[in-house]
Amino acid sequence: MEPVTMAKAINLSLRDALANDDSVLIFGEDVGTLGGVFRITDGLQKTFGPERVFDTPLAESAIIGICIGLVLRGFKPVPEIQFDGFIYPAFDQIVSHVAKYRNRTGVSMPITIRVPFGGHIGAVEHHSESPEAYFAHTAGLKVVAPATPGDAYALLQSAIADPDPVIFFEPKARYYLKEEIDTAREVPIGRARIAREGTGVTVVAYGPTVSIALDAAKAAEKENISLEIIDLRSLSPLDMPTILESLRKTHRAIVVHEAPVFGGFGGEIAARIADDGFDLLEAPIERIGGMDAPYPPARYEKLYLPDVDRILEAADVALAYG
Amino acid sequence: MADVVQVAPADDPVRPLFSPAGELTAEARATLGLSPDALRDLYHKMVWIRRTDQEALNLQRQGELGLWGPYQGQEAIHVGTVAALRETDWIFPSYREFGMGMCRGIDPAEMLKLFRGVSHGPWDPRTYHFAPLVIPVASQVPHGVGFAMGSRFKHSDDVVLSTFGDGATSKGDWHEAMNFAGVFQAPVIFLCQNNHWAISVPLAKQTAGSIAERAQGYGFPGIRIDGNDVLGIFAAIRTAAERARRGGGPYLIEAMTYRMGPHTTSDDPTRYRTNVELERWSAKDPIPRFRQWLEGQGLLDEAALAAINREVEAKVETMRNRLRATTAPAPGEAIFGRVYQHPSDSFLEEREEFESSLESN
Amino acid sequence: MADQTFRLPDLGEGLTEAQLVAWRVEEGARVEINAPLCDVETAKAVVVIPSPYAGTIHKLHARPGESVAVGAPLVTIAAQETPTTVEPEDPAPRTLVGYGPGAPEAGVRRRARVAPVATGEPGADVRAAPFVRQLAKEKGVDLARVTGTGPGGRITKADVEAATSAPAATSAPAATPATPATNGERRISVVGIRKAIARQMVRSVSTIPQFTEFAIFDASALMAAREKQKAGGRSLTPLPYFIQAMVKAVRAYPLMNSSWDESRDEIVVKQPINVGIAVNTSQGLLVPVLRGADQLDLHEIADRGAKLIEGARAGTLGPGEMSGGTITVTNVGASGPVETGTPIISPPECCVVAFGAIKPRPMVVDGQVVARPGAWISISVDHRIVDGALATEFLTALVAELEKVSA
Repeated sequence: MEPVTMAKAINLSLRDALANDDSVLIFGEDVGTLGGVFRITDGLQKTFGPERVFDTPLAESAIIGICIGLVLRGFKPVPEIQFDGFIYPAFDQIVSHVAKYRNRTGVSMPITIRVPFGGHIGAVEHHSESPEAYFAHTAGLKVVAPATPGDAYALLQSAIADPDPVIFFEPKARYYLKEEIDTAREVPIGRARIAREGTGVTVVAYGPTVSIALDAAKAAEKENISLEIIDLRSLSPLDMPTILESLRKTHRAIVVHEAPVFGGFGGEIAARIADDGFDLLEAPIERIGGMDAPYPPARYEKLYLPDVDRILEAADVALAYG
Repeated sequence: MADVVQVAPADDPVRPLFSPAGELTAEARATLGLSPDALRDLYHKMVWIRRTDQEALNLQRQGELGLWGPYQGQEAIHVGTVAALRETDWIFPSYREFGMGMCRGIDPAEMLKLFRGVSHGPWDPRTYHFAPLVIPVASQVPHGVGFAMGSRFKHSDDVVLSTFGDGATSKGDWHEAMNFAGVFQAPVIFLCQNNHWAISVPLAKQTAGSIAERAQGYGFPGIRIDGNDVLGIFAAIRTAAERARRGGGPYLIEAMTYRMGPHTTSDDPTRYRTNVELERWSAKDPIPRFRQWLEGQGLLDEAALAAINREVEAKVETMRNRLRATTAPAPGEAIFGRVYQHPSDSFLEEREEFESSLESN
Repeated sequence: MADQTFRLPDLGEGLTEAQLVAWRVEEGARVEINAPLCDVETAKAVVVIPSPYAGTIHKLHARPGESVAVGAPLVTIAAQETPTTVEPEDPAPRTLVGYGPGAPEAGVRRRARVAPVATGEPGADVRAAPFVRQLAKEKGVDLARVTGTGPGGRITKADVEAATSAPAATSAPAATPATPATNGERRISVVGIRKAIARQMVRSVSTIPQFTEFAIFDASALMAAREKQKAGGRSLTPLPYFIQAMVKAVRAYPLMNSSWDESRDEIVVKQPINVGIAVNTSQGLLVPVLRGADQLDLHEIADRGAKLIEGARAGTLGPGEMSGGTITVTNVGASGPVETGTPIISPPECCVVAFGAIKPRPMVVDGQVVARPGAWISISVDHRIVDGALATEFLTALVAELEKVSA
């Protein structure tokens, strides 16, 4: 197969899900006629009709709220929230109902909520946020974020097939990353991958920061520093065995995400390492992320976001511990 | 391009059944087609759910329940609504619809587990077509709309009854759901139980306009009716449901009633409302009203009344005994058992650690 | 008639007390279920409390105006035998939902203890990362005597490694002595393997009802087999023979290779026989696991067993090589005058077998007392799974296997 972009890979994954399972419905703001503001759902309404792929009024809480009833009626909703910063009106429905319905009734909620997230696209306010920690913190949800087209395809298949609700974060800055994909490959939820092997420092990343970590590893190699890059793929559940296995080699860890560090998901990873891998550490765990300030105007975003230099600096600190 | 604005939908079979004041007309009342037994059964159910409400209040005062939210005064709505629907129609309740659940066949002793703190949802909604009681106000309204949209997608003639209180109409979810219902022509009947109080806030401070008339803004009809007349409720719901079944779309019924008791057992209504108001509404109490009507029709005599009371007392005693014999599931199952259908290893490990920490010394 | 004491419930989600406003009944009066007993005022409202029992008022426990704590006796009623004989699921008042959370009973642990509370690490002024501390413990390096070359005088991995090769390096015990206490006692902070052993042993004796049986076997055949191996150029310790005999006996008595599943009250019979080998190391007792021992021949058992023992002593085994055992063997006679002992089961296993030293012993053969090589065997088993009779059969089979060793 020709290399495809992540946007196309997700589109193919949705197309296959619609074709393979009549109960799958796709809806959200502008996903039908327009094909989504990122064109992720391009052509789907045309193929599958307006009863399976449809535009909704502009109302995130209802977009998620109706999912509950649709599941009870026998559907598998795959709603789209147009941008990360627009998910907050739906927070109550996600946290109070989507996450807890099975706990309340025994009825599972196979809902996959797709959310383009993260920055790097020079957008206006509310279009570059990383709200993943709110949802990873919520029991009853699964939270995933692919970093490559192939993983995006496969992970979305796993998410839609999963009987439990999944928040599917798409790194919008990587929508146009291209690779050949193998649609037969399975990526189960909860399994990280080693994106690059190394021996000096473990760098844990997910979604948009995986590419940056890989760039950092290339730069580090020139300085004879070996970084091992872990692409988490799944935040909840979290694949601790893969992280600990890497630490047995490196004894040093850096966590990278775009969200602010304070209260961010990196804190959970650091705490788990301290709990389960205390004796493995030779250096403090470094966390790199956005600042504890709202996402800045676009011209400052490069200063705000993790970059190669910040990862290399953290690696220097970790390695200074001998 | 000229937009067409539909101001008043022409198809409104409910309105002709009611006077402008929202009372069921004598003619409509005479042509409901309910048998004497069916009419007596409505009365029986109202007495049963009221007595159950009182018993739950007693059980709370005796330490058997953590909390209770009485529905005294709203029995006509609970009973009339369920009677007007088909069993396959779904009901999406708020938190005060205990009586509706009973009318749908759910064992009240099982439902009380919610208030006893042993379960968040003691029944399977798919068995009774009765969704779980929902506490965050108005958040259940989009659920019902979603179900109704699904019914339409599946070309099913099942309809949805979505109910909420007057306070819910202030919330964004309520608006979003009404709007979706109108846009997707969802077969849903919105039933606002306007009981005049959202805990301590009276209707006048909740909203400055009519609730029923808002329906027009969403493109479907609405009506305000007397919520303490069980036959009026029955007629309105049944007619709106038939309309929805035919593909006529949503309907909003605002049923005027009164919460005669406190919001919950943790509340003290004497701090915010007067006895005068309560007395005024007691005169419209739905149970004596319907009893008098039945007696006037010659459908209920002393012996029948006594038989109903005996039967209700027996049911309530059974409920009391069953509730007190309730067993609680093991903590591990209660806390972790229903969170994920496919739990992760780390989730299972946490459960295991928790359970082994409970092993007795 | 039985006296029932009704305690004041929490009437409003988290209240702790209520004031008694007035009684509506008096002592000696009859009440029915749900008859009003009294009015009380809580922080939220004045409410009437209905009687939960029918019967005669025996005693009123509070006077009007008095404050009654949630959970305190309110009234005692000589109750009629109620038609309901069902007891509430838990008679303890606090667990009734309407009694709120209350305060925990003083001095009572409500959950089984999970782990002993760790005491602080000694030598707090030593700056070293967790991994370096772990390494120092493994290598027996006292960090207080090492000069750190890392940032801020921090001791690095290289520093520990240098200290290990230095001749003056002291051998530290697994348990590091801490500051002496003032009364002459010495407190030893328990960490690492010592702590793990302690936890495992407590779990064993507190959850497994275990008993021990003893036997002596004639090791003539075993010693002859060893001689034969030696002649063939292969020197074997008795341990592989012990393991092989044990595996054969287990095959005949698979229950010895099982676990008790407490969560379901089921016995789980394990398929592969993974033999844990108890090894004394400088760190303490370690039990590396010989996986799939039932698939190995004598030489494989000997080779892999030796590697595991060596690895355990060198501290190079991974967690995978120290877990997953289904039965354990311990050789108590390897050194010293010990004949036998009462081994403790390694949970969740069912059985542990101890072998003593092989030495000449008086034995009766054909009515004559003769000196023959022999040794004690003892087995401890989980009595939930195995009774005495079955244990004896297993032990008999094990002795028979050992006495007919030929290879």
